[in-house]
Amino acid sequence: MKEFFIKFRLGLAIIITKLTVFGLRIVGRGGTSLPGKIALRICPDIFNRLSDRFRIIMVTGTNGKTTTSRIIEGMLQKAGLEYISNKSGANLASGIATTLISALSLTGKPIVRTALLETDEAAFRTLAPKLKPEIVIVTNFFRDQLDRFGELYTTLNSVREGIQGSPESRLILNADDSLCASLGQDTSNPVIYFGLGDKVYPEDYLIANADAAFCINCKSRYEYLSSSFAHLGHFKCPNCGYERPTAQIECTQVLEYDNLSSTIEIQMPGGKIAVKLAIPGLYNIYNALAGAAVGHMLDLKEEDLVYVLEGFECGFGRMETLSVNGRELKLILVKNPTGFNQVLKYLMTQKDKCVIGFAINDKLADGTDISWLWDVDFEILSFMQEKVRRFFVSGIRAEDMAVRLKYAGIPSDHIFIMHGETELVYSLLEASNENETIYLLPTYTAMLDIRKSLKKRFNLKEIWE
Amino acid sequence: MYELNICYLYPDLLNLYGDRGNITALQRRCQWRNIEANVHHISIGDTLKYEDYDIFFIGGGQDFEQTIIQDDLRDGKREEIIEAVQAGKVFLGICGGFQLLGKYYKTSSGKEIECLGAINVWTHAGDTRLIGNIVFEVDFLKNNNQKYRVVGFENHAGKTYLGEGVKPLGKVIKGFGNNGEDGFEGAVYKNTFCTYSHGSLLPKNPALADHLIMLALLNKYPDFQGLTPLDDTLENLAHESLMKRFTE
Ligand SMILES: [Zn+2]
Repeated sequence: MKEFFIKFRLGLAIIITKLTVFGLRIVGRGGTSLPGKIALRICPDIFNRLSDRFRIIMVTGTNGKTTTSRIIEGMLQKAGLEYISNKSGANLASGIATTLISALSLTGKPIVRTALLETDEAAFRTLAPKLKPEIVIVTNFFRDQLDRFGELYTTLNSVREGIQGSPESRLILNADDSLCASLGQDTSNPVIYFGLGDKVYPEDYLIANADAAFCINCKSRYEYLSSSFAHLGHFKCPNCGYERPTAQIECTQVLEYDNLSSTIEIQMPGGKIAVKLAIPGLYNIYNALAGAAVGHMLDLKEEDLVYVLEGFECGFGRMETLSVNGRELKLILVKNPTGFNQVLKYLMTQKDKCVIGFAINDKLADGTDISWLWDVDFEILSFMQEKVRRFFVSGIRAEDMAVRLKYAGIPSDHIFIMHGETELVYSLLEASNENETIYLLPTYTAMLDIRKSLKKRFNLKEIWE
Repeated sequence: MYELNICYLYPDLLNLYGDRGNITALQRRCQWRNIEANVHHISIGDTLKYEDYDIFFIGGGQDFEQTIIQDDLRDGKREEIIEAVQAGKVFLGICGGFQLLGKYYKTSSGKEIECLGAINVWTHAGDTRLIGNIVFEVDFLKNNNQKYRVVGFENHAGKTYLGEGVKPLGKVIKGFGNNGEDGFEGAVYKNTFCTYSHGSLLPKNPALADHLIMLALLNKYPDFQGLTPLDDTLENLAHESLMKRFTE
């Protein structure tokens, strides 16, 4: 009798969720969280009930979740697997419930077998033990909006607990991140590591702003053979011996690197491949490696891996190139210090003159505390002043951003405060010459505003996914 | 030429929420006036002699990092920090640094963790985090003959209480302040200033930044005549826009 009721509730949840999705569509809304919320209300253990109907791949970590997920989609397609995936804005329990139910028939049978789920780090703690994913990819851990997540180590422990509740999951971890790699210590889960080879990308080690300079086991200061960025690198604890694990998927050479692409060599368990990534930035090399690791687990042939990695271009907002009134406008989302620093380093690879705009909001989705702007190394922009004549700032926190630039060494008369995204775009267009690229760096909600404005005032066609 | 030495304590451990912006502000505002400002990073294993510095800064860290420095403080730095405070050195403690300068931190399980004891304040763990934008009014700073209002962002679970001899830094206009109960924010003892307002406190509140610089210069050069004014157009715009948003 009890079993009947449980089945009944599941069935009811599926039907009502589907009706809600349908209803929202009729009224022209694509809500992803409300249907799942209702489903969880009707059938609280819905995840446990659905887990064995899918082959689940979960992607979590601070930066690169979305890009990595999109690369994995390419791998799944190449492997001939039909799959569903959630949108990046739907990475909490409710959004994931909506996604999974949308892949069921009315009688609860899965229409597709594979589910790729980008998952919020805090939500991962309770979701992974229920969903029992076959593969878990953890990209990295950086400070991200601490007002929402609490401390970095709390976030790490959320993911750790999630993994402990799913001991069969095969893990794909970032070897260069001492926090992420620690998830592979003392665990029965099978682990594959990815990372950059020693001294492949030598850079000065900026300890003053590192998120994790001290050993997670014994709290001694790590020594670094080499580092790539932030706290990522070949670390070793001189006291307890915890060190960067051997990476099975390793970038062994960066052959070319500019503001459009990078050509890299990857050592896979089966041999070396050379790949030209159409996405620039060191952080995207890490995302590509994580994607390659999934391809390897799916038993893709090397040429297929290369095909997917080379064919990949950026999706929603991470970085995209738009043409506005004859100008090239590159829109790059910024959301935390490490990501922002990577974007700035990418700007440094720009060879010609350019115009730069920032749009900083402090709404909930951006992070209400904008102090993190002071953890970003805007100081390097002062080396670009020959190429950048003017800096434009807008958004709710335009003035904060202006002050930040001033203290980074940009002269005040090169900083212009704009009121609203439309004025910002107009000014950027006006300030740029024909061959100059416009870089526009918004936080999340500022990006939504800019897109709206581009659509309305600049006649840009549908740029949503 | 005037010269100030700034001691940045544990920059690799206590550097939450853009704390280094405060160091940048002190340094830049000195440079713009041709005052030499040297920043010295003092961390685990380094020797600290308080006489060598004119301004001290200590920020907040995560629990993991806070525990790392406990042993190091016992290794001689604790006495130097207390001496610096007593000697009237300019000291800025923010968030975790504020708590650390106090006497103890009482956890939710009732355990008292001993802190530096440099100023007579103490902190009790609270059950909710006090998060959000904060505005508080500071008596000793003036702006067009009005009391200066400092704007910042607070994010703390600890509730801090002031004991005898310690004055609050300001009166809360918006936000929670030290404990969300008595309407006060921060602490002042001699030339030590503490607050929960983290991150870009000094860049956005240039009057407070200049007050600290001036006190340090007066300490070191008793005949110091006063700071030359700077063009603070952008700083004031940031300050005013937030003030408007949060208090009107
Ligand atoms: Zn260790």
